[in-house]
Amino acid sequence: MNARSRCVAALLVALGAVPLFAGSASAHPPFCICKMADATTVRCEGGFADGTGVPGVRLDVIRYDETVALETKFGADSTVSFKRPQGEFYVLFDAGPGQSFDVDYKDIQ
Amino acid sequence: MTTLASPSRGTSLWQRWRFHLSALVMIVPIAFTPAFFHENAFFDGRKGLGEREIGEIAVGPWSVRLAEFKVVEPDAEGRAGYAKEFALALCPACVDQVKAAYLRVGKPRNIRTMGALFSGTPYRQTAEMRIPDRTTADDVLWLTLEGWDGALHQATIPIRTASPVTAAWLARRRS
Repeated sequence: MNARSRCVAALLVALGAVPLFAGSASAHPPFCICKMADATTVRCEGGFADGTGVPGVRLDVIRYDETVALETKFGADSTVSFKRPQGEFYVLFDAGPGQSFDVDYKDIQ
Repeated sequence: MTTLASPSRGTSLWQRWRFHLSALVMIVPIAFTPAFFHENAFFDGRKGLGEREIGEIAVGPWSVRLAEFKVVEPDAEGRAGYAKEFALALCPACVDQVKAAYLRVGKPRNIRTMGALFSGTPYRQTAEMRIPDRTTADDVLWLTLEGWDGALHQATIPIRTASPVTAAWLARRRS
């Protein structure tokens, strides 16, 4: 083995070792960002931290007394708009157990 | 008679140092080997449940051991905000009775908002719990266990107890 081959082999060994020291895989938690689009309309955008969209995923608007004010779904662009309900409520993006995200009405500006 | 061209300065340096460079490339991974074996032992549980064990927590008729997976500040998760990872082990007697464990900041509003779901074996499972923007260092974590019979049992743990490093981080963000 000549010097160049030794060098290339060493480099390959080092590069091969890189994944051994890489960090652990992380989860991709859901998010739901809701803002007032205008004086009466709330616009919510949902998704996961890795960039995955949520078209067709359920989003509920629930009053503090746990009655459902609105049942809807995210559109193809992972957004949904609805008329802001009166009183106290929260928005629940529900993609399954452990994958839900609730937004309180106080945080919707 | 032919004249040999003298090598350029770069070629000359390469010729002179390439052996040393190849040796260095071999040595660097060796220097990281102890850290690698430490991480390996940590991730497969031989170093304990997590880096900092919080203790045994009673949850209704059951109990769990809870730990901070790593003693680090919450991780930035892009648009999802910040999240903190915890590890949990079910008590040996309740392994067959508990279906799922959830953890969140603040009291769950209902069964659909119980928080991050722990995944893994009953003896060591982990969850990445979201830290909402409104969270303060005085807030409380709610741990919910769901039994196979549908029963729900809950316990609370102050953030300051569960993760002092997270409490300090929250206090710093608020100041």
